[in-house]
Amino acid sequence: MNVAVMKTKAEQAISESFEAVAEKLPGSAAVKARRAQAIGAFSGLGLPHRRIEEWKYTDLRVNVKEVLAPSVEDETPVTIAELLVALGPMAHVDGHRFVFVNGHHRAELDDVADAGGLKIAAVGELLASATEDLSATLAATPEGGDAVEALNTAFMTDGAAVRVAEGASVTKPLMIVFVRAGSQASSVTVRNFVTVEAGATATVIEAHVVLPGASPDVQLNALTEVTVGKGATLHHAKVAVDEGKALHLSNCDVTLDADATYRNFQFSAGLGLARNGLNIIFEGEGSKIDISGAYLARHSEHIDTTLVVDHAVPRCESRELFKGVIDGHGRGVFQGKIIVRPDAQKTDGKQMSQALMLTEDAEFDSKPELEIFADDVVCGHGTTAAELDPDLLFYCRSRGIPEKEARALMIESFIGEAIEKVENEPLRDALAAYAMQWLGHSPRG
Amino acid sequence: MLEIKNLHVKLADEDREILKGLSLTVPKGEVHAIMGPNGSGKSTLAYVLAGRDGYEVTDGDILWNGESLIDMEPDERAAKGVFLAFQYPMEIPGVAGLTFLRTALNSVRKKRGEAELTTPAFLKLAKEKGEKLNIDIEMLKRPVNVGFSGGEKKRSEILQMALLEPTLCVLDETDSGLDIDALRIVSEGVNALRDKDRAFVVITHYQRLLNYIVPDKVHVLADGRIQKTGGKDLALELEKSGYAEYTHKAA
Ligand SMILES: Nc1ncnc2c1ncn2[C@@H]1O[C@H](COP(=O)(O)OP(=O)(O)OP(=O)(O)O)[C@@H](O)[C@H]1O
Ligand SMILES: [Mg+2]
Repeated sequence: MNVAVMKTKAEQAISESFEAVAEKLPGSAAVKARRAQAIGAFSGLGLPHRRIEEWKYTDLRVNVKEVLAPSVEDETPVTIAELLVALGPMAHVDGHRFVFVNGHHRAELDDVADAGGLKIAAVGELLASATEDLSATLAATPEGGDAVEALNTAFMTDGAAVRVAEGASVTKPLMIVFVRAGSQASSVTVRNFVTVEAGATATVIEAHVVLPGASPDVQLNALTEVTVGKGATLHHAKVAVDEGKALHLSNCDVTLDADATYRNFQFSAGLGLARNGLNIIFEGEGSKIDISGAYLARHSEHIDTTLVVDHAVPRCESRELFKGVIDGHGRGVFQGKIIVRPDAQKTDGKQMSQALMLTEDAEFDSKPELEIFADDVVCGHGTTAAELDPDLLFYCRSRGIPEKEARALMIESFIGEAIEKVENEPLRDALAAYAMQWLGHSPRG
Repeated sequence: MLEIKNLHVKLADEDREILKGLSLTVPKGEVHAIMGPNGSGKSTLAYVLAGRDGYEVTDGDILWNGESLIDMEPDERAAKGVFLAFQYPMEIPGVAGLTFLRTALNSVRKKRGEAELTTPAFLKLAKEKGEKLNIDIEMLKRPVNVGFSGGEKKRSEILQMALLEPTLCVLDETDSGLDIDALRIVSEGVNALRDKDRAFVVITHYQRLLNYIVPDKVHVLADGRIQKTGGKDLALELEKSGYAEYTHKAA
């Protein structure tokens, strides 16, 4: 049922801005049709708001007041040296690099030589290409679908299409870097496709970073569609580090075949308003996932992690651990739904979400949901929200450690337990370094 | 010299006085033992010396080398040489023992105007001091005290003390839960630190410890005050007669 609601100024502006840029967006006729269908669906849906259960704590209709102009083309100069500065501690991750500036592929910043079984292409080019028409892969926005994903289809300019060939074992991680540059505030919409074929292994890191001096404002919409083939392994991470004002809407939709392994780590810091959506479907038996993350929120930052794990088949295992540090008036939201379908016997699912509240004004909303329709399963979830333990602080201080440092030590240890989940060591170190920077500390030598 | 003068301490969020005019003087170079019944205020005294929240000093003063400790933060006190070996050492999940020790040692050194130790220099020191207390360096790679046995926790407290080299050492029931060998090892660790510039306050329930760490004085703390002071033989007497005499006096 569609109740006619008055459109907000922002919703109006989004539709108008689509009209204005539609011609400049890449894509064959079929792609254009998909975009038109998606914006139509969005018009019906509007921006998600708190009366939609999945968006209960993150009301975009209230929070998105202005709409920034879409970045449909970009020529902001960026050098490799600047890119490395933007990557900060992640510059030490030794990997292949595929780079986008303000949502547009920048081949001169790439580093994808000798990528072995890894095939990578820019989605912008594929969309426009007549031979490799992506429109078939682009799902139509379903009735009552997700408005943010619909907007992604309507506005996407570019992204990485990654394919890891059957049986290939790609040792170096692939970093898909989205860098923001220039003083122009804009909205950026990117779409990635990551396919790991049967028996293959790879590590993919999506990094959202900012060049010093770039506009602090951005409205980002990123969607990554992941397929992990039979017996394949994908280590996936998304790192978003910003300056406190970004609107960061991200979705990751994952489908796993049998006996697959999928690990995803989400790191968020300095995001004004963030929604990290993760939708994972087990389609083959005997697969395992580990979905974890760490987020740091301060001032009035708001970080929402919304996870749906769908055990559609038997004998799969899911693990989730999310840890948030919330300072100032910051707010952390965690919604984790585990669905166990009637056939999905021997499902093993465990979920834990923890928040460390540094102030009285810090807020944490947690909504774990188990929807279990099978009887022979082991499923559990837990949530904790705690302040720093004053006894432990005293213990540290009685050993001469000043309060600020004692607090940092405790926070690091809290968040460290999540960061430990990252398998790639240089990335793990980089994330620990980000956390320390956030705490106002230089890395411990 | 430690001078505790007419110390009155109540619980911060309860109207209950725990220390009721306690006076005690411990000169540098001496070891004073404090014995007393359960709940008499021994740990409270130790915590108040170290500066733990939750207690309110309503009267009296604590002077260490002539300076009042009362308004100092716990880390400032540590920098002035105060150290408390906890009756119940805490576990810090996620913080490796070595990181904790190095952070503590370098914080204290910095406050004392000494250069921070480099990682190799620190590791060498930790290894050396650890060996004396039968603590393997591998154990210190694990999170602080997590999964340690009761005795291991107590030994790790003494290792912290040996590294930080405090000048006022307060040991709260460090002997409880130690097996016979550990008791000897810990006592040797403590005795190694005894020197003319250091003062020790050793809280214990058992005379046995005082055979190893021979005290200059023994005090009986009951009902929030020092009820009697004597030499090391007082501990032997208490072993025989118990505290009835002192608790009656208090009641
Ligand atoms: N933080 C606190 N909150 C409530 N009561 C407290 C607190 N600290 C101490 N007390 C109370 O004060 C009294 C003295 O306690 P304290 O721990 O100092 O005794 P103790 O002499 O060390 O005893 P024990 O020999 O059992 O270790 C006890 O009655 C105890 O319950
Ligand atoms: Mg006690």
